[in-house]
Formats: sequence, C-alpha cells, structure tokens
Amino acid sequence: MEILILNGLINGLIVGGVYALIGLSLTLLYGVLRIVNFAHGEFVIGGAFVAYVLFNALGVPPLLALPVAAAVFFALGWIGYYLLMPRLSRSDDPEIMSFLMMYGMSIALAAVMLLVFEADSRSIDYAFEPISMQVGLVYVSTARLVAFGIAVAIAAALTWFLFGTLPGKALRAAIMNREAIQIIGVDVVKLSAFAFALATAIAGVTGVLVALVFPAFNPFSGAEYAIIGFIVVVMGGLGNPVGALLAGILYGLAEQMSTVFLPQAMAQIVGFAILVAVILIRPTGILGWRAQR
Amino acid sequence: MQADARTTAPRAAEREAADRVYFTLAALIGGVVSVYFLLVPVLDLNLAFHFYLMLWITMASAFNVAAGFSGYMPFGFVAFYGVGAFTTAILVKNLGFPVLVALPFSGAAGVVLGLLFAPTLRLSGIYFAIVSLALASICRLVITNMPEEITGGSFGLQLGSRAEPVLSFYVMMGVMLVALGSILWLSRSRLGKALRAVRDDAEAADMMGVNVTRVRLYGWLIAAVFPALCGGVEAWYTNVVDTETAFNTLITAKTVIYAVAGGLGTVTGPIVGSVVMVWLDELIWRQFPLLNLLILGVATVLLVLFLPRGLVGTLLRRRPQWRRYIP
Repeated sequence: MEILILNGLINGLIVGGVYALIGLSLTLLYGVLRIVNFAHGEFVIGGAFVAYVLFNALGVPPLLALPVAAAVFFALGWIGYYLLMPRLSRSDDPEIMSFLMMYGMSIALAAVMLLVFEADSRSIDYAFEPISMQVGLVYVSTARLVAFGIAVAIAAALTWFLFGTLPGKALRAAIMNREAIQIIGVDVVKLSAFAFALATAIAGVTGVLVALVFPAFNPFSGAEYAIIGFIVVVMGGLGNPVGALLAGILYGLAEQMSTVFLPQAMAQIVGFAILVAVILIRPTGILGWRAQR
Repeated sequence: MQADARTTAPRAAEREAADRVYFTLAALIGGVVSVYFLLVPVLDLNLAFHFYLMLWITMASAFNVAAGFSGYMPFGFVAFYGVGAFTTAILVKNLGFPVLVALPFSGAAGVVLGLLFAPTLRLSGIYFAIVSLALASICRLVITNMPEEITGGSFGLQLGSRAEPVLSFYVMMGVMLVALGSILWLSRSRLGKALRAVRDDAEAADMMGVNVTRVRLYGWLIAAVFPALCGGVEAWYTNVVDTETAFNTLITAKTVIYAVAGGLGTVTGPIVGSVVMVWLDELIWRQFPLLNLLILGVATVLLVLFLPRGLVGTLLRRRPQWRRYIP
C-alpha cells in the first residue's frame, strides 16, 4: 500500500507538471486577451503529433523536437492572432464569443488531425537509457522523469520571464489592467500577439511532454486536455499564472491518488466534481484573495 | 437590447393590436409549416432528413431560451438530451413501458436534471459555461458506469421491434410545435420580458420587483425539458441508445451553432438557422463525408467572426422596424 501511495504521489507530481503547463498557457491567454481557448487541447495534441512526425519520419528524438515544436507553434500563434482577434474583439460579448469560436476551432483542428493521422492512438517508441530509474522505493520510467525535469525548467523559465524581465512585467500588467498600460505607452496589440504566440508555443511544447508522459494520444484526446486545463485554470483563479502552476500540481496529485483508491472512471468524475465544487464555493480560485486586492 | 417602445408606453389597445398581428402571422406561418411536415410521410419525402430538421429546430430553440432570453451559455446542453434518451430507453427496455408512456418521463427527467443544475444559475458568463460542460461529462460518466443490466454498458440499449418511423416522426412534430408555441408565448409574456430584463441587468430587474431567482429557474426549466424530449423521441426513432452517441459533444456543438447561425434572442432565429444549416449539412455530408467535421468547425469560426448576431439578428439590426412582425 505504501508503495502504491508513493507511486501515486510521484506520478501525480509528474502528471501535475504537465497539467500545470497547460493551465499556465491557458491562463496567460485568458488573462491578457480574455480568450477562453477551448482549442487549447488540440494545440497540445498538435505538439505531440509534431514530435511523432519528427521521430517517425526523420528520426529526431523527442528532446530535440521541443525547440521545433516551440518555434512552429509560436509562429502559428502569431499568425492566428492577427487572423482571428481583430474581428473577434468587435463582437458584442467577446469573452463568450471567443469560447464559441475556439469551440469551432477545436472541432476543425481535431478534424484536420483526423484526416492526416486517422483515428488510431499513436505513441512514440523512443526509449531512454536506462528505461526506468529508482526513486526511493519505486521505479519510474526515465521518459516521465525527463518530462518532469523539462516541465519544471519551463515553469521556472516562465516565472523568471514574468517576474524578472520587462516584457514579462508588461504581460502581468496587461492581465491586471489592460487600459492603464496603454497610457504608459505599451503597444497592447503587439503585446497581445506575443502573449497568444507564447501561450500557443507553451501548448505545443507541452504536447511533446504529453507524448513522453502518457502512453498514447489520438486526434480526439484534445478535449480532455482542454477540460483539465479549464479545471486547473479555474482552481488557480482565472488569469493567475502562479495559481495555475499550483493548481496543476494539485490536480495531478488528486487525480493520480484517486486512481490508487478508486476505479479509473470514478477518478475522472472526481476531477469534474472538484471543478464544479471550486467554482460554486470559491469562484475566484484557491489563490483568489490575491486577485481581489 | 433595444427597448421595445410599445411595451414601455401603457397603450393597451395598441399593444393588443400589435399582438394580434404578431400572433396571426405566427399562426399563418406555423400552419403552412405544419401542413408541410404533415405531408412529408404522405408524399414519401425524405423522412430522416425532416425528422432531424425538426429535432434540431427544437434543440436550437430550447437552447435559445437559455442563451438568447436568459443569457446563459450551457455548453453541456447535451446532458439533457442524453438523460432524456436513456430515460425512455430504460423505461421501455427494462420496465416494459409503452414508448408513448415513457416519453413524458423523459421530459420529467429533463426537468429534474434542470432542478439539480439550478444552483449553477448564480454563476455567469464563462464560469457557467465551463461548469455546464463539466456537469455534462459527469452525467455521461455516471451513466457509462451504471450496471450493464440497466444501461446496456458500451453496447447501449436496443429497443428492438418497437420502431415506428412515421409515428415517431409525428410525435417529434408534436414536440417541435409545443416547443415553438411555448417560446412564441414566452417571447410576448411577462415571464419572457422579465427574463430579458434579468439578462440585461439583474439588479435593476430586482429593484423593479422581478423575482430574479424564480424567473431564471423557469427559463432554465423550459430550456431543459425540450432537449430531454428530443432525446427520448430520437431514441425511439433510431431504436438504439448508447453513451457515445447520446452524450456526444457534437450534439451540443450543432445545437449552439444552429442557434447562433440564426440569431440568439429571436424566436425565428434558431428556426432559420437550423433550416439553413441542416440543409447545408445534408448537402455537404453527401458530397464530402470525410470533411463534414472540418467544415462544421470552420463554419463556426467564420460565423463568430463575420455574423455574430446570426442571420435574423443581422437582418433586424439593419431593419429595426421589422422587429414588430418578426418574433
């Protein structure tokens, strides 16, 4: 039993790291642009497919696929911003309309991936040396440990970026008050385009990690990740990057621990129940008091 | 929304005259449409196409009560449909109910589910949408994990030899007419006006003596009962129910898209939207079955970007004076 619990804890941390990154990019999008990105899961799966294609067609190992995915998705996000956002921001209720638009985007992207890769579940047959490592009492696959290390590194880099550099501070300022930063002379359109591209790039990179951590993915797994992303974002407080990181880890732990004690399907229900409970009881998220000040 | 000048001025006679024109027009159009649908089986037209046309008109119109009249975006709308489908299937298959007796229970199940979800009505905007999505997933998971002898597990429930395509077609027509009639009534009734007032400014409506909670609940229950009935009738029509299809998120997607395509907040919007989109869907499906999903997604994006008020909404914005005659 102790080993099971320890296993649940370690896997919870690893899976939670991935969830935290999904939540972080999603919350960045919402904070800066007020976009509720339902298609985020498809961006993530898109990243996984980039790694899949690079490995199967060119033999590129997943670690080298990370920068490629980042670059590709950053460019796509930049283009996507200028294609979609100017018109969207003119509608009556941009927030709910963005949800609807991204819902359509999610269906369209899943359909494109379905046309290209078909409905079969895919996985990357890349094996690290050694294939698993001992952590305390339990063995964990090296791929998962590597993925966790990368997730921590990305989270650290982003935290440094958001809190230590001028563009990062501008992003956080945009989350707090979009009007005020324009008075100081920040080009809010460029900043938003950058935020969109950055969030998309993080989603793409997270996709590569998903390919390492989870056994398989298919064109339709996107929606699951989007919903997990929403859970994490809402738990952490909409538009709160630190909250998203914490909530991601917490949710990963809760999910993995409940698979230890409950059947698989119940664990999923627990996730949704957590979401509903958090919104109904504490709509500002677990760090909500910060947002209110 | 634009305030209706006639409702603010207490001129009862003029209002009655307007109502008369309005309901006469509605009755005329409704009569023509009813005759058309009545004749579909007689003239041996495409039964399935018209069945689903009526189903989507009902779904989109019910969604419109929540989204257009009340200002809630239930992205888990499929929950009502799926629970309705399973209620009829379980009652018929396991308890031996006749289908026509089981169908009202589907409606009742929709109302019960609506009551269960009622606490979420104090949320707004995006929070409501996300919670609704999560609740629909919970419904699907709960039904999927019920014992196999009740819900049939992953094979679903087969209703066997109870298929009566023409009779179920007419029942669907009845459901649609009741739905459209209720919504037409709602758009002119006190309740409908109160709903719109609460949607636009809940505090102001509260000050004017509107019972905000009760009005929201009534609107919500009207939106909940019809998709549940649709689910029940569709289960009867296709003779099979399983969690994959009954809780398919595409059902929500189509409902939302059809309603938005026509224009939320108007009675005719979701009808026009459904007719146009179901027809387009049929056209596209026949031509390129593989591209159907892709086109549905792209159409949604384009709709939001270029026609966010929908066909009828855009028309009414161009010609505000037509508001009088187009519900």
